[in-house]
Amino acid sequence: MAKGRRAADGYDLYFGPVHPGSGNFGVKLTVEGERVVAARADPGYLHRGFEKLMEYRTPMQNAVLSDRLCILESLNWNLVHAEAVDRLCGTEIPERAKTIRVILAELSRIQSHIIWYGVLSKALGFDTGFKVAFGYRDYVLDLFEFVTGGRVYPAGYICPGGVRRDIPEGTKRRIVELLAKLERMIREFEAYDSKTIAVRCRGIGVLELDDALRLGATGPVLRASGLSADVRRDAPYEIYDDLDFEIPVREEGDAFARSIIRRREIEESIRIVRQALGRLTAEPLPPVKPKTAGKLPEGEVYVRNEIARGEAAVYLRSVGESHPYRCKIRGPDLLHMIPVLEHLLVGAEVADVPAIYWSLNICPADMDR
Amino acid sequence: MIDMALGVIPQLIKNLFSRPMTVAFPHEAIPIPEGYRGEHAYDVDRCTGCTLCARVCPNRAIEMVEAPEERREAYPKTYPQIDLGKCCFCGLCQDICPSGAMTMTQNVFLSTNDRSTVLRSPFGKT
Repeated sequence: MAKGRRAADGYDLYFGPVHPGSGNFGVKLTVEGERVVAARADPGYLHRGFEKLMEYRTPMQNAVLSDRLCILESLNWNLVHAEAVDRLCGTEIPERAKTIRVILAELSRIQSHIIWYGVLSKALGFDTGFKVAFGYRDYVLDLFEFVTGGRVYPAGYICPGGVRRDIPEGTKRRIVELLAKLERMIREFEAYDSKTIAVRCRGIGVLELDDALRLGATGPVLRASGLSADVRRDAPYEIYDDLDFEIPVREEGDAFARSIIRRREIEESIRIVRQALGRLTAEPLPPVKPKTAGKLPEGEVYVRNEIARGEAAVYLRSVGESHPYRCKIRGPDLLHMIPVLEHLLVGAEVADVPAIYWSLNICPADMDR
Repeated sequence: MIDMALGVIPQLIKNLFSRPMTVAFPHEAIPIPEGYRGEHAYDVDRCTGCTLCARVCPNRAIEMVEAPEERREAYPKTYPQIDLGKCCFCGLCQDICPSGAMTMTQNVFLSTNDRSTVLRSPFGKT
């Protein structure tokens, strides 16, 4: 304690990287009394060098690698990478593969939002919410295991050229059953709200729209501050332009607004999955076979997608070799975890730090890459 | 506050009579679906030694090795030796294998305290 002391009335407080709710990431807080006067993000604990690794691997191998960009929503990252390679190569994706991609990406978004709800509950000391959320998450993981062969890591199931294999028989029925369970889950979350999340989150960590834009917030964080921006609608990819869904927006910009937005997004994702299931055609889809030979055409692409946490993008540049010459990954969390978080924590009470921290739904994996 | 305390009673009664969510592992286990990517099953007699699996492996977990001296006549090529310590169980080797010699099973019980057991020789235990 003495080591961290700064002055008679202030001291440094380390939130993470070994705090149970912080993830592999920390924030150094300068605290006076109960109030945070300065916050400094401490990233770098989960750097694995994906951008460099991808320069030495073929697109199919990189699809497997792209799972690990964010462990909590690997299928969404699969999709961003696969789309970048498809656009670079000019590959036409079969309609059925596009639909399967959207279904899985939306389920991945739901799964990620469920984790967020669980961890936010845990951070607020509401253990029941954590257990309920992670219980329901397992139903989604069961489906991923059934379709992709892995619970958390789909091993590049959404790969350049489509999907690695067609969905097994019975998947449609299982998804319909899963969606019914998820609707029950949302009702449970709503029932908890008034006495738990609303009490702890309302009015704290307010992010004004000007600040959100200045600091580079995207996704639910930006939408909770009042701007309706979503790549799925603004620059549609896959089959999103044919689907009917709403973009939830709130004006308040506080931690509670961010939590409401994510819950509403689960509802919208359920709608999207239902519509996509209706569009699934019956003709079988040939599996995408991996190749060891073959070159990427020369050129560069920048592809962006809306993932659960915000806007994700992949920049690929090829000079005509089998591997990309450069791969730049833009994760939404770098800006949420450093400038936005530092901005929101200044002036907050120490007790509100976990609520603000998790209301941003941060993921050190995609920030450090 | 009282209504909050009383609100748990129906839930408590329901939970008294509902079945547990977990299963009594190891006596029973949750079935693993068919397409699961578990431990590899490798059939050296179907293998053509084409090296595609070693080349496609994103983690370089497969090394092509020669047969032991006494079997080199029957197996003159090089064959894949899998290092499960490096393997990420992506299944690309299974997908690329032209002869169906490499497949993935549903076996997930691979934890070990002995590092030497993570190397899977194409000729079984030597």
